[in-house]
Amino acid sequence: MSTTGAVYDRSYRPYEGPRGGRREAIGALTRATIRRALGLRRSWRQKVAPFVLLGIATVPAVVAVGIGYVTRNLPNVDRIAIIGYRDYVGVSSALLVFVAITAPDALCPDRRQRVLPLIFARPLTGIDYVLAKVGALTAIVFAFSFLPQVVLYVGNLFVSDDALGYLTGHLDVLWKVPAAVTLLAVFYAVLSLSIASLSSRRIVAGASIIGVILVTSVVSGVLVGGSDDGSPAALLNVLALPLELRDLVFLGRIARESGLSGVEGGGALAVASYAAVLAAGSGVLAWRYRWAER
Amino acid sequence: MAGDFLRIERLTKRYGPTVALDDLSASLQPGLIGLVGANGAGKTTLFRLLLGLTKATSGHVEIDGTDVALDPIAVRRRLGYMPEHDCLPLDQSAADVVSTFAELGGLPARVARQRASDVLDLVGLDEARFRAIGTFSTGMRQRAKLAQAIVGDPVLVLLDEPTAGLDPGGREEMLDLVSRLATFGISVVMSTHLLDDVARVCDQVVMIDAGRLVVAGPTAALLARTGRLVLDVGPDTSTLIAALGARGLGAREVDHLVEVDDDGDATVDQVLEVIVGLSLPLYRLASGASSLDDVFLDHAAAAR
Repeated sequence: MSTTGAVYDRSYRPYEGPRGGRREAIGALTRATIRRALGLRRSWRQKVAPFVLLGIATVPAVVAVGIGYVTRNLPNVDRIAIIGYRDYVGVSSALLVFVAITAPDALCPDRRQRVLPLIFARPLTGIDYVLAKVGALTAIVFAFSFLPQVVLYVGNLFVSDDALGYLTGHLDVLWKVPAAVTLLAVFYAVLSLSIASLSSRRIVAGASIIGVILVTSVVSGVLVGGSDDGSPAALLNVLALPLELRDLVFLGRIARESGLSGVEGGGALAVASYAAVLAAGSGVLAWRYRWAER
Repeated sequence: MAGDFLRIERLTKRYGPTVALDDLSASLQPGLIGLVGANGAGKTTLFRLLLGLTKATSGHVEIDGTDVALDPIAVRRRLGYMPEHDCLPLDQSAADVVSTFAELGGLPARVARQRASDVLDLVGLDEARFRAIGTFSTGMRQRAKLAQAIVGDPVLVLLDEPTAGLDPGGREEMLDLVSRLATFGISVVMSTHLLDDVARVCDQVVMIDAGRLVVAGPTAALLARTGRLVLDVGPDTSTLIAALGARGLGAREVDHLVEVDDDGDATVDQVLEVIVGLSLPLYRLASGASSLDDVFLDHAAAAR
């Protein structure tokens, strides 16, 4: 065996390679937040909640595809639609719990464990921090809502009698689902993070997110009541607001079962309310992290 | 002065009616710099200004030729920071945390992981790098904090009370690590109120008191300039002080001893001449110039 070779001092080496700036730092913080939210590089206990909830959210798709598979050869049985693509872009209990867990976990430990001074000692501004966190949570919620749709679509494709026919017959789904899921993900990312930013305790932040969503839903339901004509009070329901936009994407109008149905300009009002919630949430986040450059 | 590594010019920071820093100026070269002052002296405010995390009311700071106020992002790309308080995510491993902070500093992901491993090895956490930081002792957390501060190969690292809360052994290890940083080409500003730490590690010192500069300069020069002779001549101190005063030497009584300002060998010769001339006994003659405490107290008193 040769005994020649170089001896390296592993203790410290200067770094002469490329060095990124704000954009790279935002990307790094986004990736770190996603890893943390999904429990990656953490103990198995941290992985349980996100992946169990993702599994629960995927159950309807698996059931729908399974029934389609079982009944594919039965004569005189029409295709049984357990759940459609539009309905599946919805706010499930699993999604609510997921958001109420991941949003506080993305923000609260940084404040509670006083990590923020270290983060802002890097080439990042307060706005960059907010962008990274919103980007990370949007990506996570998007994946959480989109992956079950992929299972549903691919599964339906395979159990269909005519895969090519199914594909060409459902081409609109290929853009409507990502668009609607993106609207839902951005909405819940900004809303939940802005609420979570007001507390340094995860449990308080999580309960506040659920509370705001449920309370606005109940209040809106009471105000709208049983009116057949609908009411602008339906806009107060932050639970349903992104679903109004989903319907605009899928149907091009407010759905008949919506509390906004019958309200003149309901679609425009829904878009304006959606934008207002995003603007307010972004404002809260910018305000909470303004001190980084004060 | 052109070419200074760290240039602070007439820096003032006010928070409402409170003046945190008052017309602070200092010019420092690369190396190990001690920032000394009591609690509330303005050390943390100065760190925030160096990091570009707060704007000066007036004056400015340059680090390695870059004005911090004009381009704080560029400065922070080459700066490391170790706060005094606990600041690391407790439920993540040291390797994960340090590599994440390397990436946040702009290093590519693969390089960040490799450097995190190397730096944790350097600070003595190689075997603990996959453990959650929440399981670390105080000394290990301090070393993990130092690791994240230097992982991005900064030109300057700001250490806020790096030995706080450490036992004597841990303190020695931390000071050894800090003193090694200069050999890696990393300059250090070490904030502390422990003057012994500064005397042991730092080649330059900046002393501040109530937001004002007390004195700044090379540590060795400051110690030399404050040299004193301490004499024990028995009870007749007033006679000696009067005779020394007649020769133009500054002398005073401190705890039944005579303390004389020492400007070098000539002073010793003159003092001995006077003592012989007065036929006083000489029980002890010692140099009293050995402490940064004296430097701080003397200059702080003069500044007031």
